[in-house]
Amino acid sequence: MASLLPCPHCGPRPREEFTVKGAAQARPAPDASPDVWFDYVYLRDNPRGAYAEYWHHTSGCRRWLIVTRDTATHDVFDSRDAAEGREVRA
Amino acid sequence: MPQSLTLRPALARLPLQRSGLRIEALPEGTVLHLLAPVGSGPAGLTAELGASGLSLRPVSPGQWFAVGDAVLSNTARAALAARLKPAAEVVDQSHGRVRIALSGPMATRVLAKGTAADLSLTAFPIHHATTTLIGHIAAHLTRIAEDRFELIVLRGFAESQWEDLDRMSAEFG
Repeated sequence: MASLLPCPHCGPRPREEFTVKGAAQARPAPDASPDVWFDYVYLRDNPRGAYAEYWHHTSGCRRWLIVTRDTATHDVFDSRDAAEGREVRA
Repeated sequence: MPQSLTLRPALARLPLQRSGLRIEALPEGTVLHLLAPVGSGPAGLTAELGASGLSLRPVSPGQWFAVGDAVLSNTARAALAARLKPAAEVVDQSHGRVRIALSGPMATRVLAKGTAADLSLTAFPIHHATTTLIGHIAAHLTRIAEDRFELIVLRGFAESQWEDLDRMSAEFG
């Protein structure tokens, strides 16, 4: 049975159409300390529960998405375009 | 000695006729990929494309394919690209993508074996289009009529896709 992921552009699609990149977290300021950057680049939480990740709809609309899902049950709480709410440069 | 280039269609095949289904390779005419800022609509494009004998297929936010059966000459394509320039960038994909048509009452049943996209007429109405995996191959799928679909696949995958469709439709021999 395929696990379905809701794409905000295409509707529910099997996860085979997607590529997961990893945790979606806020990028530190360019002049943040090396410790903060080290955490951002290398350190990840591994929660049992809600987790926000970047997913790429590789075999579909090819948009980057931010999907919030439960790592234990795979319930998807939210799925939106990663560019949403930000200026999209052409 | 100058050598002339020979067009070799990716799918030099006769149509597959099943009971309730026909699969045919469409003419390798024109496929243009249009790219515009996300959120812009096709409004500025349709009139120009209609005049060139092309029809528009949505791909993803801000992206469309403009397809037609006839080959557009280099000058005509450049002129069209110039006219569309304010609204969208044009990338010629005529050489890179191949179109396959599936028609007949069994078309949805065959496609449903390969894709998870909802093909019901309410969720996938006429003129609706989407990109999805059909088996292992990423394909662009458009509903042309209730019983007719158009597939656009990368040229290198066209033969594999054709063979997959052959097998997927075998039960309707």
